[in-house]
Amino acid sequence: MCGLAGVARARPQGVSAELLERMATAIRHRGPDGFGLHADDRIGLAHVRLSVIDVAGGAQPMANEDGDVRVIYNGEIYNYLELRHELQLRGHVFRTRSDTEVLVHGYEQWGEGLLERLNGQFAFALHDRRTASLFLARDRFGILPLYYAERGGDLYFASEIKALFASGAVEQALDPEGLDEVFTFWAARPPRTPFRGIRALEPGTWARWRDGVLSIRRYYALDLTAAAAEPADALETLDELLRSGVRLRMRSDVPVGGYLSGGLDSSIACALAAQVSPYDLRTFSVTFDDPQLDESMFQQAVASELGSRHAVQRIGGGEIARVFPDVVRHAETPLLRTAPAPLYLLSRLTREQGIKVVLSGEGSDEVFLGYDLFKETLVRLFCLRQPDSRRRPRLFDRLYGYLPPQTRKGDFWRRFFLDAGSPDDPLFSHLPRFRLTTRIRDFYSDRFRAGLGAFDALGELRQSLPTGFMGWSPLGRAAYLEIVTLLSPYLLAAQGDRMAMAHGVEARVPFLDHRLVEFAVGLPDRSRLCGLREKAILRRWAEGTLPRAITGRPKQPYRAPDVPAFFGGPEPEYVGELLDPASVRRTGIFNPDAVAGLVRRCRAGLATGVGENQALVAILSTQLWHREFLDAPARARAAASSGTRQAAAGASIAA
Amino acid sequence: MDQQTTGPAQSEIVDRTRAYVRENFLYMRPDWKLGDEDPLLGSGVIDSIGVIELVEFLQDAFQLAIAEEEITERNLGTLGAIGRFVYQKCHANGSGGSLRPRQVA
Repeated sequence: MCGLAGVARARPQGVSAELLERMATAIRHRGPDGFGLHADDRIGLAHVRLSVIDVAGGAQPMANEDGDVRVIYNGEIYNYLELRHELQLRGHVFRTRSDTEVLVHGYEQWGEGLLERLNGQFAFALHDRRTASLFLARDRFGILPLYYAERGGDLYFASEIKALFASGAVEQALDPEGLDEVFTFWAARPPRTPFRGIRALEPGTWARWRDGVLSIRRYYALDLTAAAAEPADALETLDELLRSGVRLRMRSDVPVGGYLSGGLDSSIACALAAQVSPYDLRTFSVTFDDPQLDESMFQQAVASELGSRHAVQRIGGGEIARVFPDVVRHAETPLLRTAPAPLYLLSRLTREQGIKVVLSGEGSDEVFLGYDLFKETLVRLFCLRQPDSRRRPRLFDRLYGYLPPQTRKGDFWRRFFLDAGSPDDPLFSHLPRFRLTTRIRDFYSDRFRAGLGAFDALGELRQSLPTGFMGWSPLGRAAYLEIVTLLSPYLLAAQGDRMAMAHGVEARVPFLDHRLVEFAVGLPDRSRLCGLREKAILRRWAEGTLPRAITGRPKQPYRAPDVPAFFGGPEPEYVGELLDPASVRRTGIFNPDAVAGLVRRCRAGLATGVGENQALVAILSTQLWHREFLDAPARARAAASSGTRQAAAGASIAA
Repeated sequence: MDQQTTGPAQSEIVDRTRAYVRENFLYMRPDWKLGDEDPLLGSGVIDSIGVIELVEFLQDAFQLAIAEEEITERNLGTLGAIGRFVYQKCHANGSGGSLRPRQVA
């Protein structure tokens, strides 16, 4: 994977190499292996490269023979060999072995229709000189990022927002509505971001900029209509799709490793990888000193079954707090959990061990109904059909059996789920989560709350739902909401791409091969969630492939310590500084007295509930985020960090 | 109010509990008007973890033991309900609060 950045001018006033270098330097971590620029009177393209396929020949920007079509691209097209063959049959002549060149010729051949043919994870910008336009596109599920900002008729775009700021042309200001979405859904919902005037290109869409006008179109929408009955050959089809998805994602000119969580999904990905890898498979895991969070026993079981060379990133007392400021800088958004921090450390370990491509199990829980949220939805519906039953709500105790017993006592605990909302509400499945998350709003300052006016994040989400949404089953609706509110904008971004790319590691997600996704979401609900048994068909498939300890193991959510990460031992200096009332008042988003109350409870060890843990991480990360991006111009910092000229050494400036 | 017993008066139970809830659950909303019969759960004042904290407070403050089956909305759903419940428990045998060892069942 790589990083891209660029500018498209409304008028032919040129784009300086110095500007492009500055933008590229801000995202150099995404592509430490190479650096390239192209500039003419209207378009500037910059690229930092992580060499994975055609290490020698895949430099970017890459153009066709006459330079009419030129692309900068971040990602992998896994079916590039098949597409290349098809294009060659149509007369296209290839000069490299890279997947990038498939984009160039594929666009020449099919225009926007190219996107439907791609199997991969990608974000790219393509200058089409024939139509004097810039074409931007993002993969179906938003595995890779692409942001843009329009300023005075010019378009600035980049893989990460820090590159937009480094241009010096894009204002660094917060967007209250974007922040309110973070404090509702865990992330701003694309196209919104927490920054004013900066948009994320939505997953499954493309944009064309021409003469200062940007038009956006959707090319992919998931249909979550489930079949009434499971096809007789469902297991065979699943087998074929899983193997094909992994096999394609092993295409690489460098060794591909695997992240191993100890759960079913990453174990499947690693097991299939081990079967086709030409190298000894390398696997990487996070372990926690806290036994309630630790899964090392299961990770070791899979690693030894696969015979992989296994490396472990241990998370003990102070690691999370130590790296949290860097985590926020890379995530570019306030966070509600510290969970990205261990993954930041894991990618550092992975890179140190010489691996720059890994498979991850992300995406499976959404399409095979693995999360507790799906079971919770069924149990809530079951209970609400007989609201007077005292027996039915006891299912919630069973559902959350992994939580400490003292946190789930009495009918208050059960009522939380039952009072959360009506089954008629399109957001029914997610209302308990949203209700819990939005408690952070209690900490808003009066000024920030007033700035939000009548903004209604849930109302906007309801308005955005696709036609036919209410025709899907309750679990289909829940899966859709999970994908658009959490998977794409948070798990794949702040916790996924950004943590991996912080250390130049490319994460590939075989469960988000669109063919597998479409097959899975089309299965009957009960093939995936059978009673309260999640990912049923996947478990059936995995029996015989993985140790019984893994296939029979209930889903364990990935969690990391939140409040204890900052207050469980020596308190890092920045925590006290940023949560100090004067500092909170200066930032202006939260009420200093309310934050002081929360900090007092954290220091006393009283903040043990999910609500206060989320609030603390949200407030602290917002303070860090504000300090990083809004208190001082990123441009000055980028220039001061390593020197653009030095970073650009070895750059090739085309044209 | 029964003046014959040594346990706390119902109004004292309500006032001390109100102060505790304000200090620990409403510190971020100091202008929240918490009436005696305002629901503690439905209004989002207290969540399920908060209930456990509240139970621990009541056990410590009034020297009584509360069993899991007593952790209900009827007993703990409002400040008024807490006042009635704790008062009854403290005065059930006419000799003030239970001296059983504190334990959340």
